[in-house]
Amino acid sequence: MNQKSNIHLEGLLDDDSFKNWVHESNQNDVAFWKDWIKKHPEHIDVVYTAKAMILGISFKKNSVDTTEINESLQSVLDSISSKPTIKKSAKLMVYTRYALSIAAVGLIIFFSLLNFFNVSNEINYKTGFGEVANIKLQDGTLVTLNGNSELSYQKDQPRNVTLRGEAYFKVKSIPSTKAKFWVNTNDLTVEVYGTEFNVNSRLEKTDVILDEGSINLVFNNGKQKIMKPGEIVSVSSEKETISYKKIEKNNTYAIWKPKTYVFNKKTLESVMKHIENTYGLSVEFDNDSLKYSEISGGIPNENLEICLKAIEKITDVKIEKNKEKLLIYKPIN
Amino acid sequence: MDNSENTLWYSFLSGDKNAFSVIFKMNYSELYNYGLKFSKCSSLTKDCLQDFFIYLYTHRDSIKEVKSIKGYLFVSFRRSLLKKLKNERRFVGVDIESAYFSNFEFSPEEIAIRQEISAIKSDTLTTILNNLSPREREAIYLKYYSELKVSEISSIMNISYQSVLNTIQKAFKKIRNASENEIISNILKKY
Repeated sequence: MNQKSNIHLEGLLDDDSFKNWVHESNQNDVAFWKDWIKKHPEHIDVVYTAKAMILGISFKKNSVDTTEINESLQSVLDSISSKPTIKKSAKLMVYTRYALSIAAVGLIIFFSLLNFFNVSNEINYKTGFGEVANIKLQDGTLVTLNGNSELSYQKDQPRNVTLRGEAYFKVKSIPSTKAKFWVNTNDLTVEVYGTEFNVNSRLEKTDVILDEGSINLVFNNGKQKIMKPGEIVSVSSEKETISYKKIEKNNTYAIWKPKTYVFNKKTLESVMKHIENTYGLSVEFDNDSLKYSEISGGIPNENLEICLKAIEKITDVKIEKNKEKLLIYKPIN
Repeated sequence: MDNSENTLWYSFLSGDKNAFSVIFKMNYSELYNYGLKFSKCSSLTKDCLQDFFIYLYTHRDSIKEVKSIKGYLFVSFRRSLLKKLKNERRFVGVDIESAYFSNFEFSPEEIAIRQEISAIKSDTLTTILNNLSPREREAIYLKYYSELKVSEISSIMNISYQSVLNTIQKAFKKIRNASENEIISNILKKY
């Protein structure tokens, strides 16, 4: 976002921060581009054309009736089977058929052996402190795994994953089969069709924050709850508590998203807890009263230093990093 | 292509009829709607689409490397439908392609009532869209109705990547101007 005085349409169309401004989805980016436009009125035409291109035209899609598609498919399949693809001599055809059945038997033996000696069928992703991994699962689902977290699933069940730590999910919906997607933590299971949400299973509880779509939560006690966008649900099976909240001005909440933290009315102490967990650092306050400074707004989280700078600015404290320790103090004016 | 698309495509290439059926079902509606846009004939488009899929399966051995399934299907189906239309000879002695693509129009029923870019009515937006050049209309259709990528549109329309971007950009400049004029004249009408 530094050098944008020389602007190209193509560059804007590919710029995530620009897209965030267009969709008003990130407060930092909205502020940045508002300011940028004010400073570069000469580019206003390119900027607004790019914005229009990203928003585009919304169409009502006119789908062909499913039964009609199936009928058409059937007649296509019928005429395919009456037309052999490869015109080889009869002898060769017989030979190929033998070869194919031998190959098939071989494959069956191979797969049953594979199942029999099924040792490492599990796929596992793990991030260290301060690392963020972008993972694309076999079905097209995108997962951003926050630092100090772990995601695993069985090879044959790529839509049933287990999470320790924190991650943001963009689940690929498969409308044709209505296939579900599951995220399991110690406290609950999240059941999804296709949507965007965040799961955090740190600190002896699991928080689920839903951005888009709808999901179903299945708690360990068997109870269920359908979540709506903008809701936060916290579950602790240890303490046997479940709490609901909405993302609203007056509520306190903390959301981790790829590239940004969004905090609302959070104390500095709880914000630093997130930093501790993600980056594996310990935090020390010079003065206890500093713990209760309030933080609201978006904070970039990709880079620890920039993240800490943003916190310093918002709360008027100084943060000193000394190896694995962060010391927080009030600067003397 | 991503992993699952790749698997699907290679299963189809190796003769898997289930994979073929999935590809058929996934793309039928979009290809049909696109074909209808310039052929203007429902039965002819459906016949052609069936023949196209039969040809695709029986000649799968001759398919060269494919970057995206949907993009490939659009390119080849457009070609085979134009060929069929040529045989029908409804336009004699003219450039068949531009003759058919001048038919490429939008109807108010296709335009969603709620638009992000401006608050103008859908029939006004339809008029604005239909006043664009045929190429601009096709590019807008492929980008926002068929949801294809710029690189895919470039091979379907057989123009460069940059030309696709320029075409869409020009179209949106016109849309912005026209919709601003519309809004201003609506405000003036009130006084």
